[in-house]
Amino acid sequence: MMELLAALEVSAFATWVREASTIWAYPTILTLHTVGLGVLVGANAAFDLRVLGFGRQIPLAPIEWLFPAMWVGFWLNAITGAMLFSADPIEKGTTALFMVKLSIVMVGVVLIPLLRRAVYSRRCAALAVTPLAKTFAAVSLVVWVAATVTGRWMAYW
Amino acid sequence: MTQLDAWLDALFAATTLDESTIVFLKGTALAQWVVSTPWVWPTAEALHFLGLALLVGVIGLLDVRLLGFMKSVPVAALKALVPWAVAGFVINLVTGMLFFTAAPDQYMHNLSWWFKVLFLAIAGVNMLLFETTQRSRMRAMQPGDDTPPAFKVIGGVSLVSWLMVVYWGRMLPFLGDAF
Repeated sequence: MMELLAALEVSAFATWVREASTIWAYPTILTLHTVGLGVLVGANAAFDLRVLGFGRQIPLAPIEWLFPAMWVGFWLNAITGAMLFSADPIEKGTTALFMVKLSIVMVGVVLIPLLRRAVYSRRCAALAVTPLAKTFAAVSLVVWVAATVTGRWMAYW
Repeated sequence: MTQLDAWLDALFAATTLDESTIVFLKGTALAQWVVSTPWVWPTAEALHFLGLALLVGVIGLLDVRLLGFMKSVPVAALKALVPWAVAGFVINLVTGMLFFTAAPDQYMHNLSWWFKVLFLAIAGVNMLLFETTQRSRMRAMQPGDDTPPAFKVIGGVSLVSWLMVVYWGRMLPFLGDAF
């Protein structure tokens, strides 16, 4: 495993991300990672708040597109995150905080389709918020807050 | 020197803090506390990113409606979520001022920070224009109505300026060599 991380660290791509003296390498990848966070956590938070009872007048059917939006944010961050990881794999690959963040993100990702199904796959005509949907929304909100905090903290610890 | 250069110099002179103010800010108890307490800056950064997500998520949804999508959602219904965006903004204003007080020269002397402030101002004026000039039109809208061109312009300007605020904020350590 360490050999793999070491090989990744010295690869041409990792070296470019880490050392290229252009804003298009590390700075732009990091900024895209922040934009992806805004799309994923932002869309998720807005939807969670609606399910938890804020903005009750917002009909549910026309905001289902927030789920594809969350996936766009997720994939943007999976890709940019892998690029950022490649720049510093030995350090990040052995840091507990990074493992904690990855685990939290995995829980969040599993919750995305669960929340969508809980709200939209009801047999009856009118969409309504069930206690299960509210539970998924509340957990989802907490999970993405935790993912954001642990991700941001990777720059310090 | 062109007229534009003269204006820019005057603007910079009028808005840039002088050295004594920078020294004063760095000497305040707040700045000393931020610099000497290891968990403060990282915690404020984490809060700054949570505020970002809250603000961008809620305002982005409203902007998409103003652009003419989700026609069956009343604009007024979406505005019920806006207090959450305001909460995100307040979190970021407070944490942002904390960073600024602790390291004023690092922001003041960085062009990226000025671009961030510029786009914050554009987003703010844009929002005020919506609230002051479009209120009656917003109230008169029926579900299913397309949005008038003014709404589309305001929604587009809002979306682009908040994206620019995020961009110049995140690029700040890399552009201008301040950190």
